[in-house]
Amino acid sequence: MLHLPGAPVNLARLGARSGCPISLALLAALVAPLSAHAQSPRKIIDQVDRLMRGEASIARFTMDIRTENWDRSLMLRAWSLGTEHALIRVETPQKEAGTATLRANQEVWNYLPRVDRTIKVPSSMMMGSWMGSHFTNDDLVKESRLVEDYEIEIAFEGERDGADVWEFVLVPLPEAPVVWGKIRYEVRKADLMPTWARYYDESDELIRTMTFSEVRLMGSRLVPTVVTLESADKPGETTVVRYHELDFDVDLDEDYFSLRNLRRER
Amino acid sequence: MDDRWIWWSLAWRNLWRNRRRTFITASALAFGYLASVTMIGLWSGMLTEMIETGTNLVTGQLQIHAPDYYPERSMYTTLGGRDGIDVDELVRIARETPGIVAASPRVYGGGLVSSGSETVAGMFVGVDPDREVEVTRLLETPAEGRAPRAGEREILIGRDMADLLDVELGAEVVLVAPASDGSLGNDLYRVSGIFATGMAGLDRSFGILPIRSLQELMAMPEDRIHEVAAAVEDPFAAPALGDSLAAALSARGLGYPVLPRPWTVFRAELAEYASLAGAVNGIVVGIVFVMAVFGVANTMLLGTFERRREFAVIRALGTRPGSVALTVVYEGLILGILALAAGALISWPVLYWLHNYPPDLSNMFGDFTMSGTVVRPVLRAEYSLDGPIVSGIALLITSILSALYPAYRAVKILPADALADI
Repeated sequence: MLHLPGAPVNLARLGARSGCPISLALLAALVAPLSAHAQSPRKIIDQVDRLMRGEASIARFTMDIRTENWDRSLMLRAWSLGTEHALIRVETPQKEAGTATLRANQEVWNYLPRVDRTIKVPSSMMMGSWMGSHFTNDDLVKESRLVEDYEIEIAFEGERDGADVWEFVLVPLPEAPVVWGKIRYEVRKADLMPTWARYYDESDELIRTMTFSEVRLMGSRLVPTVVTLESADKPGETTVVRYHELDFDVDLDEDYFSLRNLRRER
Repeated sequence: MDDRWIWWSLAWRNLWRNRRRTFITASALAFGYLASVTMIGLWSGMLTEMIETGTNLVTGQLQIHAPDYYPERSMYTTLGGRDGIDVDELVRIARETPGIVAASPRVYGGGLVSSGSETVAGMFVGVDPDREVEVTRLLETPAEGRAPRAGEREILIGRDMADLLDVELGAEVVLVAPASDGSLGNDLYRVSGIFATGMAGLDRSFGILPIRSLQELMAMPEDRIHEVAAAVEDPFAAPALGDSLAAALSARGLGYPVLPRPWTVFRAELAEYASLAGAVNGIVVGIVFVMAVFGVANTMLLGTFERRREFAVIRALGTRPGSVALTVVYEGLILGILALAAGALISWPVLYWLHNYPPDLSNMFGDFTMSGTVVRPVLRAEYSLDGPIVSGIALLITSILSALYPAYRAVKILPADALADI
């Protein structure tokens, strides 16, 4: 599923094949030849969406979280299958190693090695922070079907900062179960890499900005390897995701994403 | 006899001209006074009960925070900021403030409580079990089990939460809370008790832990707390006490700012209700005595008519109309003072009884909830200075007011006409 490159809303994807960078990768690899001139933005995305399904990935990335009160850095490993399944495990810091989050069957579970328990994250906590980052649990679980939930239009087309770009504006369809009032998205025409995404609430106020950078070949695909998330109401606070390894050529099936596997440390 | 006193003397004698009538009129006023004092007493008893049950369960009547703790209630906004404070010193100074009965430090947190496959969101309150019992009823007699003990990884949860989690006394639950270092604090706690306040919000989401246990869960050092909650002697003095405590703290040179928050702020609806009740008191007193005015005026008018000739004679002898009027007003005033004395005499035992042995109507009505506060239908009167003083002044004004018209009529008597009848 995918939505515009960069399903920024979806953490699972951040580390996953279906993750934002990856969608981008796909966009680049598969869509570019279609030539966007001939296609509506919606169509391009839809096409990529279908291509994305069922693919698996394994990633290793760091998450650097900077807040007013503390800074911390997590090394994480993530497995994903399509958009339905994801498993993320903390590797360092040592104190939290083994702490893991599983997303399967529309539910989010956490495994806490310290107490050796798995707990289901209740729906009331979906907007809560994931591991202290600026991502929410909802980011993790939400299948942001941008194509299905949003009306997508080109708001700008032309040169910006020396690059030929599109700026898409995504407005949710009336009945769409989404939390955003609007999303703005900028994509580079040359390689179909996203540069940023901005998320607004219903009163058109900017809530957060996601920036994509350091486009590199990883796992034989071109992806932005750094994703920076900033909350508009907490200036100076950021969560930076940096990919170190990304592998699309993996064999995972749904059984892998089980509570039993969630508990298995490493 | 001094000229001035003759009119008082006349008034006094007139009162005893018809003893039964005077007795009945004074009784009406005295019972009016009793009614007024009792109603004010019951009202303020109910108010006090509401304020007490509304504040002594969880909040205390006065809280002290870092100035920017509200409205965000961030975990990081502790008293004294990052450096923390000498908690014992702050609590001691609070307790030493005259009017403050007890004080207790607290830490708040939010997170998840989980058991088996069930997980619910919880609001955690870390308290010092020994001090907390002096401030609130939070830890008092849980429905099951006992309060958590300091130094133990124990938690007291509400009945609804226990049901949601499907746990019994003694069960282990997992607590998960964002910690102050950014990590995800998690640990196992034993359910030491289950409380049932009848308030859905509390019973469903509150979890009470020893303060140190919660600080450990949230990776907070011992010297960082969010609040000191205090119980005060007179709830209506809480705002002023808060200010004097803040002043005392800055005078001690503690080096960090605090913001007192009395119940009138965090339970503003109760405070509004209290001031509304004040207005209702005024109306009740007004109605009781307006009714009395007509009764007393009627009797005095009768008395004045009986003495038409008397008035005519003294007028004919050269008395000024003002003096005639005065004697009637004096008569009213003396009647009022007698009634006030009688009223005070009968009110005292009634108030005493209502205060110490209040009729409990729980059997008839059961408890009810009002502005989020459980109220027991107990008719307990609260002593106050206001009730007797306001009622007393109202009674005296009534007696004077009711004498005005009769006095006017007495002045209007024409000596020639009145004497012509003889």
